[in-house]
Amino acid sequence: MNIELSDITRKFGRTVAVDGVSLDAGPGVLGLLGPNGAGKTSLLRMLATILPPSSGQLVLLGRDPAKPGGRREIRRGLGYLPQNLGYYPSFTVVEFIEYFALLKEMPPHLVPKAVAAAVEKVDLGPKARAKLRTLSGGMLRRVGIAQAIVNEPELLLLDEPTAGLDPEQRVAFRALMRDLGQTATVVVSTHLVEDVGAACSEVAMMASGKIVFRGTPRELTARGEAGQGVGDAPLERGYSAILAAARTAAS
Amino acid sequence: MTAVALPRLSRRRPARVLRIEIRRSVALWAVPLLLALFYCDSFRTAAGFPPIWTVRSSVITDNMIADFGPLAAGLAAWVASREGRRKTGDLIATTVRPAWARQASALGATLFWLLLAYLAGVAAIYIDTAMQATWGGPPLWPVAAGVVEVVTFAVIGFTAGALFPGRFTAPLAAIGTFLLAEIGFHAALQVEPDRSTYALLSTATSVPLSDDGVFYRVAPDLAITQVMFMAGITVALLGVLTLAPVFRLSYRGLLSGVSRAGRWLCVAGVALLAVGAAAAATGVALAGTAKLSVSGWDIPALHDAASDQPVPYTPDCAGTSFQVCVHPAFSGFLASANAALQPVASEIAGLPGAPVRAEEVPSGEGVRAAQGILLAGLPAAGLSGTPPVYRYNSDDGLAPFMGSPAGTDNAGWEAGFRQNFLTAFVAGPPRAGQGADASVAQPTAAQQAVITALMTAVGSAAPQFGEDMSNGGPTAGATPAQIAAAAQRFASLSPAARHAWLAAHLAALRAGTITLAQLP
Repeated sequence: MNIELSDITRKFGRTVAVDGVSLDAGPGVLGLLGPNGAGKTSLLRMLATILPPSSGQLVLLGRDPAKPGGRREIRRGLGYLPQNLGYYPSFTVVEFIEYFALLKEMPPHLVPKAVAAAVEKVDLGPKARAKLRTLSGGMLRRVGIAQAIVNEPELLLLDEPTAGLDPEQRVAFRALMRDLGQTATVVVSTHLVEDVGAACSEVAMMASGKIVFRGTPRELTARGEAGQGVGDAPLERGYSAILAAARTAAS
Repeated sequence: MTAVALPRLSRRRPARVLRIEIRRSVALWAVPLLLALFYCDSFRTAAGFPPIWTVRSSVITDNMIADFGPLAAGLAAWVASREGRRKTGDLIATTVRPAWARQASALGATLFWLLLAYLAGVAAIYIDTAMQATWGGPPLWPVAAGVVEVVTFAVIGFTAGALFPGRFTAPLAAIGTFLLAEIGFHAALQVEPDRSTYALLSTATSVPLSDDGVFYRVAPDLAITQVMFMAGITVALLGVLTLAPVFRLSYRGLLSGVSRAGRWLCVAGVALLAVGAAAAATGVALAGTAKLSVSGWDIPALHDAASDQPVPYTPDCAGTSFQVCVHPAFSGFLASANAALQPVASEIAGLPGAPVRAEEVPSGEGVRAAQGILLAGLPAAGLSGTPPVYRYNSDDGLAPFMGSPAGTDNAGWEAGFRQNFLTAFVAGPPRAGQGADASVAQPTAAQQAVITALMTAVGSAAPQFGEDMSNGGPTAGATPAQIAAAAQRFASLSPAARHAWLAAHLAALRAGTITLAQLP
């Protein structure tokens, strides 16, 4: 298992963002769904070793991120795309990706090839020498994806990766996620249920800091058909049915 | 997805992050501004000083630091705050390389451009000086002190930017360091120039004597202390930067922070902080023991007594019956000095006590005497010895040039130089208590008239005399018009008649017993 969470809680003051989450995940693409404020980003940030949990046990890639040595090793095998990608406008596409490859301490002789491969995977070759300040929002998103995958991570965490991508790029990126999921654990936090349907082998749904559903996209669809879900697509109906059930249980 | 030709990336291992940072550093864009500031302030100031290595090098630690320091702090703060400003904190936090290594690359790139610009400025000043200087070589301690000070300013700014990331941190760091460097240090200089440790630890100084480092070596003691103090501050701040993640992770207590950040990081941070603080404190303590000597500020614990001996030299001389000599460092001024003194020397040649030679001696002996410092083995300025020798220094002789020997206003300088020479001959040695500036006595009205007449006779501009108002003063009872009339009367005599009158009345004239009415 690349992800082993046991009763993880994260509090910000009195606010409980993540409330006793337990989750295991191996290779494959795990979609993380949930409404705004459900705790998806906090959970993702804990998986990315940015935030330590307030309580609970967290093991990533077989190591404990609370220990400096363990955290270091986890980060070698980690790729992360935050919801809001910060970047340095004066860097070129290649420089930005190379910069992160070097910060991830990839073996230097592998860096040039890895950067070239990452740039090609996100189809940014023609813009490789362009300064980041000249790129559109969608292209910047692709730069973010490239820096996340440059080290061929065992654990890839993507927060809203397809936001801002055009339909053609979105289709290409879903294929890339499926490809990466063959060997790595890919966790995708998204609001776009069609991404989940097209790319994810498993789905976890969060509401009020808790995991309220864990299953395959097919099982999520089935919940919609059986319950009181609303929406245009079967997955949307499954999503809204589970959410409605969670709210009812909470009240 | 398409396969395309990508830019060639280097496979060399070391410092690749640093190379990217150097290529994209914001400091690169500030280099033209720094060079423009350098040219308008530092270079032009240095060019205005005589081509004496020590004098010109004072600009390196004074004007250049004022130009480079605040900008260095501001740029470094801007670079350090970029993770906060550009919201890359989360992304960066998931990488393996520790924060200190990442920050070292960013700081290194900033320093690369700042120091490149700084050293280019130093090179420009030194090349310009080398093309004009006739003696000595470039002093390196000011360069070392200046480099360390630029680094210190940058590290102060970088620390501020890293700890308080925001768009206002950079301008505040620049303004803060500017105030620290200028107002603080200069205030300290003005309050107690000889005793303020704070002023001594600053490389900012007042304009040095024009022959500093010429007759005596400038001891490196103070520069070593300044380097120690500033390097200490720099190392301590690097310790603070190293420890910053520990405090950020200490929301569950310090021990938890130490555990999460790693023990070795904490040990390194604390060690840097302790070593830096110790070095800075040692610098402060050493500066507190500084004493003025012929070689500048001496720190007893660092001082090499051998450096207090005069630097041997062979003067450059011109003239035959009356020789005019300068220190080889001032040989560019020899022709002008010779041309200025020969005509007035021939006017008084053969008179009792007339000098046979003029030679340059160290300046500032009045200041040094007031501080109880003796000039070992070198005579003071004035007219003395047998046969009499007129000794002048660069302060009352050559300093008015204040620049290259060529292209200066010779007429004004020449008149002053001649006036000092004649005053030393006619008015005699200085009276006690006349202060640092007086190498000759204030002439009486008759003496002033004679000096004016002799200068007029050689075609020089009329001399300017200060009014001595003490006790009615030696010029009391004579108006400038009366002195000018007497001078005109005396100047209208034939050279032989002037010479004969002077030969007969010189002793009385020097004693101050001759009145204006007694002048022929």
